Amino acid sequence: MLRALMITLAFSAAASTIALSTVARADVAEVVADRILPGYAAFAATTQSLADAATTTCDPATLRPAFQSSFDAWMAVQHLRLGPIEEDGRGLAIAFWPDPKGLGAKAQRQLLAGDPAALASEAFAQQSVAARGLMGLERLLYPDDATLPDTCPLVRATALDLARMAAAVNAGWTGGYAETLRTAGDAGNTTFLTRPEARQALFTQIVSGLEFTLDLRLGRPLGSFEKPQPDRAEARASGRSLRNVQLSLAALRAMVASLTPDVPQTMAAFDRAITQAAALDDPVFAGAADPQKRLKIEILQQSLISLRGVALAELARELDVGIGFNAADGD
Amino acid sequence: MATRRHFLAGLAAATLPRLAWADAGSPAYLAAGKLGEAFVLHGLAASGESRFHIALPARGHAACAHPTEPLAVAFARRPGIYALVIDCVSGTVRHSLAPPAGRQFNGHGAFSADGALLMTSEVVAEGSAGRIGLWETAGFTRVGEWQSGGIGPHDVKRLPDGRIVVANGGIVTDPDDRTKLNLDEMRPNLSLLSPEGALLDQVELDASLRQNSIRHLALTPGGVAFAMQWEGDLSEVAPPLGLWTPGQTSVICDAAPQDAFALQGYAGSIAATPDGAQIAVTSAKAGAVMLFSGAGQPLATHRRADLSGIAPAPAGFVATDGQGVVWACDKTGLTPLVRHQALWDNHLIAIG
Repeated sequence: MLRALMITLAFSAAASTIALSTVARADVAEVVADRILPGYAAFAATTQSLADAATTTCDPATLRPAFQSSFDAWMAVQHLRLGPIEEDGRGLAIAFWPDPKGLGAKAQRQLLAGDPAALASEAFAQQSVAARGLMGLERLLYPDDATLPDTCPLVRATALDLARMAAAVNAGWTGGYAETLRTAGDAGNTTFLTRPEARQALFTQIVSGLEFTLDLRLGRPLGSFEKPQPDRAEARASGRSLRNVQLSLAALRAMVASLTPDVPQTMAAFDRAITQAAALDDPVFAGAADPQKRLKIEILQQSLISLRGVALAELARELDVGIGFNAADGD
Repeated sequence: MATRRHFLAGLAAATLPRLAWADAGSPAYLAAGKLGEAFVLHGLAASGESRFHIALPARGHAACAHPTEPLAVAFARRPGIYALVIDCVSGTVRHSLAPPAGRQFNGHGAFSADGALLMTSEVVAEGSAGRIGLWETAGFTRVGEWQSGGIGPHDVKRLPDGRIVVANGGIVTDPDDRTKLNLDEMRPNLSLLSPEGALLDQVELDASLRQNSIRHLALTPGGVAFAMQWEGDLSEVAPPLGLWTPGQTSVICDAAPQDAFALQGYAGSIAATPDGAQIAVTSAKAGAVMLFSGAGQPLATHRRADLSGIAPAPAGFVATDGQGVVWACDKTGLTPLVRHQALWDNHLIAIG
């Protein structure tokens, strides 16, 4: 199916490329201005508030609201895997999930038992990506292990590190990458050699974002009917599994709306999935193990599969892009 | 009469000289691509410029180049029912090779050093047992086959001394639709064969890595570097690269921790610089290339959508992508060389 959808950008006649890209440029610029930059700015601001709060208290209950707002802000940009977030493993460090081998908890136990110097700002930035970020903080603020020693220094170090990364990503966008994306195809832009490449990149973020929610956020807790795995849900300890699905869908829909005004089937498919997710009364997908409740999660899963299909057809056509020639084709 | 016969033979040799790669414009690389709905094979110069292009009847997977004559063998995508021997000067298909009944080409091949023998990776269609098909190259007829030493062989490379290394990927595939049938039991290996096809040495991966299919190879001064594709849980970290010097155990090379998932468990193509100082692996799925030192230390990761083909260049590497761009690639980054109309397919093959 994917191969049929591969659109060959390079073959657009020169004239149509020019005609299309005038519109497209405005659309890429709109995504940058209306979604990406405000999204990262909010993520930087909320994580800074969390870091500020963590300097005055380590009480989990006190810090949880700021943690939740930081995670909310992250969900508006989590699907973006291009530019500054890709540097130094920031994306992984900000939200290391899934973690099937429990690398994060293991690394945190070592940090708690080890030399406190590892928690100093520069040293901590070099620690395992699995130990850091939102998932690291979640384990500390919603602990299921009562035997942990004093976690206060680690809470503080993790919150500061998270804010530092968020600020760096924000600065990377405002200080250059936004311009790189907006000036796709201009002389000297060696990241995006043509304007359609910028659209292609944003399209890829949307499809990958949908697949992340489909395969991981829903797929991991669902497991199989014979072997459901509700304990594998994302951000279960902080009660955010379903919320993350809802926020991600909303963020992806908003991104599509900024990218092109003319994809009615895609928007309708988003709205259907978003309505279903809103009606799902199962915050951490515990229902994956209950046949009746499981069905509702599976219905959402089916809606996302169909949404992906619609986006791959209609949105790809509208943007004149597709899934990569090779990327779709492993060998 | 003898004199006359000798004279005629000499005349024939003089008027029908063997062609060389220079006659095809001295390309440095072969690259298959897609142009609209058609498929093409290009010879590319080191600068990325096209030196020739030839229509292909269907999408290919990889090609291999005759060491001296301007002949390319283009393999069909798996399950491969044909390979084409292409004259890169005239642009004509000289021979169409079909595997014997019950065999399928599996993507790659290699010539002997003198070019007299073509060795093709093949599977027995039912069960994917590996074979190396043998073809003489005067008329490209089948002259025999060897055991590949494992299941599902993919890439095959000839060492400078004539021995052959086979990447037995370990995967049993459905003969018709490529469905993978044994992911829970797969055991990939690297097999070293003598120039006569005898199994000389073999290494397997540790039990924890048996779902890492060994698929592509690059020659290094000590042996081969190999690229792997993880068939296990994609949430687990899987190493993309290994090094093997025959006679020793293999060395597994991890990505840098911050780039542990940068290739998404999929190393598609691999190349090493001739001095062995650097190795590059690409992932079209992830849109990234990862560079390692010759000892397997990660050096850099660069991103580019649908980047797949990679081959050594005078300074570092040359890479190709599915948007049609040819890139220079080194530790510091990717620099565009030429943008073509053709969208480049999986592999970029160095000639010579």
